[in-house]
Order: sequence, then structure tokens, then C-alpha cells
Amino acid sequence: MTRGEHATQLAEAALAHAKRQGRASHVEVRWVESERESLTVSGQRVDELSSARTSGFGVRVLAGGGWGFASTKGEREQDLVRAVDAATAIGLAAGALRRVVFPPEEARVGAYATPIAEDPFDVPLDAKLGTLLAATERLAAHPAITATDGYMEWARVTKVLVTSEATRTTQRFVYTGAGMSCVARGDDGVVQRRTYPGFRGSELAQRGYEHVRALALLEHAEQLREEAVLLSRAAPCPAGQTSIILDSSQLALQIHESCGHATELDRALGHEVSLAGGSFLQPDMLGSFRYGAPIVDLTCDATAEGGLGTFGWDDEGTPASKAHLVKDGVFVDYLSSRETAHALGRRSTGAMRADGWSRPPIIRMLNVSLTPGRGSLEDLIADTDDGILLVTNRSWSIDDLRKDFQFGCEMAWEIKRGKRTRPLRDAVYRGDTPSFWGACDAICGPEEHRLWGISTCGKGDPIQAMHVGHGAAPARFHDVAVGAS
Amino acid sequence: MSRDHEGELLASARRALARASVDGEVWVRDARRAFARFGSGALTQHVELCEPFAMVRVARGTRLAEVTTDAIDEAGLVDALHRAAALAVHAPEDPGFPGFAGDGGVAGDATPFPSRFAARTAAIDADERTSIVARVLDAIATAGLVGAGGLETRAESVCGATSAGAARAHRASFATFRVWASETAGAGGASGFGHAMHRDVDALAIDEQTAHAIRLATMGKDPITLPAGAYDVVIEPAGIAELVEWIAMTTFGAKELAEGTSLAAGRHGEQVLGEQVSIAEDPLRDDEEAFGAPFDREGTPTSRVPLVVRGVSTGALYDRAWAARAGTTSTGNAPPRTGWPEGPQASTLRMEGGSHADVAALIADVERGVYVGKLHYVNGLLEPRRAVMTGLTRDGTFLIEDGKITRALTTMRFSDSIAEASFRIDGMTRRTVTLPSWWSEGGTVTCPAVLVRRLAFVG
Repeated sequence: MTRGEHATQLAEAALAHAKRQGRASHVEVRWVESERESLTVSGQRVDELSSARTSGFGVRVLAGGGWGFASTKGEREQDLVRAVDAATAIGLAAGALRRVVFPPEEARVGAYATPIAEDPFDVPLDAKLGTLLAATERLAAHPAITATDGYMEWARVTKVLVTSEATRTTQRFVYTGAGMSCVARGDDGVVQRRTYPGFRGSELAQRGYEHVRALALLEHAEQLREEAVLLSRAAPCPAGQTSIILDSSQLALQIHESCGHATELDRALGHEVSLAGGSFLQPDMLGSFRYGAPIVDLTCDATAEGGLGTFGWDDEGTPASKAHLVKDGVFVDYLSSRETAHALGRRSTGAMRADGWSRPPIIRMLNVSLTPGRGSLEDLIADTDDGILLVTNRSWSIDDLRKDFQFGCEMAWEIKRGKRTRPLRDAVYRGDTPSFWGACDAICGPEEHRLWGISTCGKGDPIQAMHVGHGAAPARFHDVAVGAS
Repeated sequence: MSRDHEGELLASARRALARASVDGEVWVRDARRAFARFGSGALTQHVELCEPFAMVRVARGTRLAEVTTDAIDEAGLVDALHRAAALAVHAPEDPGFPGFAGDGGVAGDATPFPSRFAARTAAIDADERTSIVARVLDAIATAGLVGAGGLETRAESVCGATSAGAARAHRASFATFRVWASETAGAGGASGFGHAMHRDVDALAIDEQTAHAIRLATMGKDPITLPAGAYDVVIEPAGIAELVEWIAMTTFGAKELAEGTSLAAGRHGEQVLGEQVSIAEDPLRDDEEAFGAPFDREGTPTSRVPLVVRGVSTGALYDRAWAARAGTTSTGNAPPRTGWPEGPQASTLRMEGGSHADVAALIADVERGVYVGKLHYVNGLLEPRRAVMTGLTRDGTFLIEDGKITRALTTMRFSDSIAEASFRIDGMTRRTVTLPSWWSEGGTVTCPAVLVRRLAFVG
């Protein structure tokens, strides 16, 4: 018997116990097992060579009209029975304050697995280490470089969901990623960092080791080093109002913060105020509020190949799907759960996910992406008379309603008469979400579209770090406030 | 958990090290956490969580690898040690590896460590938590506002052991309460915030903080908008804590100092912050709001580290590896998990207070300025060498005129060098308040309310 089969058997026993007790109207038992390995090097020294394993059960119960959740590491039937009893007691207590309306769903049965070409666990550690050390050696090949690092991680996760609605799903995920950065110090003491492929935490994909090979760290090291050195000698970004072009990586974070979080229905309803806040996108704005320019289409898609937000079913058993959040610039839907969608008379967009066995599922982003337009980045630059190209996020800040934001980028290029003219450092841009997206006047085409992963999106209380994806091609926004930090 | 769960964990860790027969280090934490979370005026999430965690490291000569696991029984730890030993074969030699901590200590290790545990916090049940939340929600609804927040209790047993002889165990409890009273459920508007943190759940000032949140939300209606500019500002501890933590993360760690990205890099003994600012890593304090642990993840005894004294850079934070590279000793600041932020990190930051009697006295010293109840989404990565940060006000932003709060303001964004702004501090409260850290697991930040002249707001 595999561990997954054993877990399923225990989950069935937990369901049977709950049924005998007769106090729960709905029960979900979720087993998660994960194994993650990672490597971090600083220069030619290994800072971290680590392996992490975890497995356990989370039990969510609707009892007496209230939700209860308990988790257990134990893998004996009595451990599951205790967890069911604890969750039931919590649900009964909670039901005294609020009665949940939870719409029924049909049972889902099946399996999902990440399609991979090369299992990262089969690649020898020495080869992985060699890749990072070669990259940092190349990064360091300039006297202005004061620090270099490289990192790689790979993980596999198995998730089994067994519910009282007769849902039985098994999902196996593989995640892989790698990146590097270097720090340069200029003659006047200016210190600048450059990171590849995007900001730290954006390098992961739901793919095999082929993703690391495609990232080609060594081939990109020289350019990264030269950009860091250039930046350490560059002028600060001048303040003013201008057109900006966001590269794909920075645009991914822009989407994450100003669209992804803003369209989470639990935030809009006030369930997340105790950590991150609410949302300016309220239910009465659905179908009519102009979120952005007519060329702005934003989707949530749990089916996108390679996305960190891709799966077969969410943690309530809702199947993966694709839907518009913003269509032709108009706000049309939320990321939602069965309970919250039902409150608006809608169906769940399948966004309930937990970051592990010991946490309850909450509404999370899937792959929230901007639909591409036409043309290359070079075409877009050539079409820009006066502006700034902003590359790779360095800092992020947005208000509790996801409206007023400021982002800083590692690198900026001044654009004059359709050409990159000089690098600029310490660039920041500010805006108001609907005004900013309303000023979007060009989006590059599918050939520039890239699906990024964010592996540490923090939400929930206790905090949960979730894998989410964002697809974006570079885009231009006019009349944006920019400056230096 | 048994009465001596941490002792059992330690015995298990030591047996595992002996059975695995490796040069190794084991750190184990077994936590039980309960959380009643409320929002939109209702209890929305209520959970009891089991959170076992262990990190083991094994050295083969100077080749080092680490493994984390949630299988914290003896067999699980032995398995983790064996896996780490197998991984370490692939690590390159690290001639600078200082070895694992022994049983020696530092000054703070000689005296018995103060208790960090309250049995009531570990014992509170679902019905009690629900009834507290019901009381809070009722008070907020009676005021015509919408309640949100959370009541969290955590009890944990921790141990650290090494094959070099370190063997330490500890137990702790944490109870935190956060409450928002708001004009709307999730659409913004006037809001107020209250918070409390204590080892003993029964000592949380729940009703007082709920009333504070209601008072701020009630005052916050019909806000006006101030233009961008520099304003004198009084910031409550809930806001100052975010700034202090970002300064600590980007300034005091040995990694940031070595890489040159730190404000204090190459400036030891120099004035890097305003002379009113003294910040220490202070795990040994013994008072009602003390939460520091007696040892870090490497088993090194923790110690008080003055980081900035009257604005002068005086100290840095080290784990064993970074200490060896710098030719010094570990300060006991190896964080519980590796990852971002990387390198040694603070866990019990304490900024000293000043001489003002209370926040009202700070406000009285402002002719025209801004009162800030809390900051939101502060980011300190803009320009760490100058501690440039940006963030927004939240949950209580008010105009101060002639020494008094006169009316509510809409959310404002600041963007300024906090290092330079610290030279414009013109008053701090005597009383300091302890808040949970955002970035350090189980960590705290203690700080006063502060009056800063001419802080730059960009909108």
C-alpha cells in the first residue's frame, strides 16, 4: 500500500467516525505530504543545502452551522478521530455565533499530476551545485561586484482529498526553480543589486528540471553582472510624470498586488481585515465598474500549463477552471470559494487552497494573468517617444484596499525617441489601481508573454505562504508618477 | 503536552544524535496553536493547529547539510539526521565551518532563565475563545461598527542539542489579541485598531483595546485629505514597530553588513541614527512583556546585544557561521528557519522610550501635524543604505492642530529615509509596548510612540 493509499484509508475512517457521531453536516479530510530540497550559494561557498519533509492531515468540519478545523501529524486512526472531534467541537462553538450556508457540490473523483520532462529529484546534486557555482563565478568577474548568490529549489507534493460529498481526488505536484543575484558597489559608494530571472521568489514553476535548464543561469550571468555595474554608476531616476513600460516580471507583481488581491472575495467581504485588509472592488461594482482600459483583460486560470496556481481541484473539491476577473476593462468576477460565491448568488471560481496540512483552506490566487496584445518589447520601446522601462521588482507597498501603490524596481532605462538611452537607478513609480490600469495603452504579444510564479504570497492568519502564478507580457502605461527612492 | 514535554523532546533529541552517530545539531519545536478569527462582524475561522517542526544539521568534516521535518519523535529525528548526513556528502568543504555549539555559554546563561509560560494560555478551549470573541463583536456592533480581528493562543516546547554537548530546553506561551472596529466590513472607511500581547491569555487587555479601536473608528468619520508634503507626525507603537523591524532586517545582520548593503556597513562606532534612538536585541529581559528564548536554533545561549546606543552603531547580530567569518562569537541569533530574510536576524527588538508621559503629551507638542495609529505595508528595501522606506497609514489617521486632534484624515503614504528622519525625532513616550514581529517567527518588537518632525508624505 502506498502512503497515499494509507492516507486515504485513514481519511475514510475519519469520515466514518464523523458520520457515526452525527454532528457534522459536511466533512473534508485532506492529507498532504511534501518534500522540498534547496541549495543556496554565496560566492563559491554553500550557504544552505537542505531537505524538508512534512506530512499530516487537516480536517475541516461544518457542525452546528459553524466551521471547525483541526490538524494532526498522527497517522493512526485514533489521531484522525481526535482531529474530527476537535474540529467538531470548534464548529459547534462557532455555530453559536454564525451559521454558515454552504452550497452542495457534486462529488469529484480523479487524479492530477504535473506534466514534467525531467524529474528534478533525479538530477544529481553535484550537477545542480555546479550550475550555481559556475553562475556565481561568472557573476563575480568584475572588481565592482561585492557579493553574489545563487539558489535552486525543487519539490514534490502529494495531496489527497476525501469529503463527505464522496469527493476523492489525488494530486501530485512538482515545482522547480533557480535564480541568482549580484551586488555592485560604485566608486561613490552606491550599492546596487540585480537579480535573475525576476525578483527573488518569482523563479519557481510547476515544471520539472527542464525549467532550470531553460533558465540558463550561466548564459545570463554576464549581462546581469554588467547591469549591476552600470547601475552602481547610474544617475537616480528623475521625478516626473511619464510613460512607463513594465517588463513582464514587474508586471506580474503589479497584477498580483493590484488585481489578484483586490479580487479576492473574502477580502471584499471583510474576512481578511485582520491581516491584509479589504478591497476597493465591492460586490455592487460587479459587471459595471471600469477597472482598466478596454484592452485590459485579466483572467484567473487554474489550468495554465506550468503555473504555480495550476491544479486539478481546489481544497473544497471544485474543479480547476478559467474565468475572467476583468473583461474589456470591466470588473466581472472574484476569486471565490463555495461559501463566499454562494453569498453573491454565484459559483465558486475554485480558489480555496491551504499551504499545507496544518492550515485551513482560504481564498487564494490561481494564475491571475493579463491577456497579451500584439508586438514585441522592442516594438513597444520604438513606439515610445519619452518614457522609462522598469525591470525587476525591488520594493512593494500597497494600501489595505489595494488601490494606492508604490513599487520600486532594480533597473530602469530612460527611453527617448524610441530608444533606450541610459540606465537609471532607484526608480519608483506610484499610482491608483483603476487610474493606472485605465492608462494602459499597449500590451505586448504572446511572444513576450511569460508565466511567472510567486512562491511566498502571504495571506491568512495564521499566515500561509502560497504558490500563485501570473502571466504577463510587457505593457505601457501613460502619465505615471515616477521618481527615485 | 506533558508537564515536561520540552524535557522529553530534549531527551529524544539527544538519543537521536547518539543513535545516528553523527556530528550534528538538532532543534525541535512542538507547538499547539489555536486561533479564533473574526471579520465582517462574525467569527469566520476557528482552528486548532498542531505544528511540530525540527531542523537538524549534520557535518561530515566541514561539509554541512540541513534537513527539516515534522516527524519529531526519536525515529523521525534519527531519519532526519541520516538524510542530512547523506546530503552532506555532496556539499563542498567549508573551511570556515566553526563546528556546532558546545555546552559553554555566555553571561546570560549563568542565571536561571525567566519563565515564559502561562498554563492558562495552553488550556483555553474553543468555547472560551468563542465567548471572548462574542463579547468583542457585541461591543463593536453596539457602537454601530463592524468588528474584525483575532484571538490567538500558542504553547510551545523547544529544545536544542548538539553532538558537541549543547543541551537546552524551554517552554513558552503566547497570547495575542488584535481588533479592528470599522465603518464597513471590507470596503474601507473609518477604522480603529487595538492590540494586546501577553504570555497569559487572561491578562490580555481585551475590553480596553476593543474600546480603543471603537473610539478611533468613531473619531475617523468624514475625513479630509491633506496635500503631499512634510508633516510633524506622532506615530503609535504599532507603526513604529514596523519601522524598527525593517531597520533591523536591513541593518544589523552580519550578512547585510558583510555585503555592504547595511546602513551601518563600515560605520561601527559612528552616528547612524538620531541620538534619541537606542535599539537592542533583548531576549533576556524579565518583565510582563518579555518573550525571548534562552537559546537560538544552533543551541547558542541568547544574549543582550546593544545595536544602536544614542544613535551610534554599536553591535551586530551573528550566528556561528557569520561570527566565524567576522572573527567574533555568535550572539545567539540564528533564526528558527533558514530562508528570507537570510542570515542572522533579531527576534526580540527593543527600542528605548523617552520622557513624554503619554501619546497625548506628544500630540501637545505639535502645532500642525498628523497622528498615525498604525502603518500598513511598510517596505524597507528601497534604499537600505539610507533606510529609505515607504508605507501607508491605516486605522486612525488624524489631523493635529494646536496640540490637539481635530479631525480625521484619509490614508496617507510616507516615503522618506527613516535614518535621516530619526535625527528629527523630538519626543518619545516613556512607556513602551510589545507587539508580535511580522518577519520573525515568535519574535517581538518593543517600542514607544514617537514624535518625528517633517516626515515626507507623497500623497
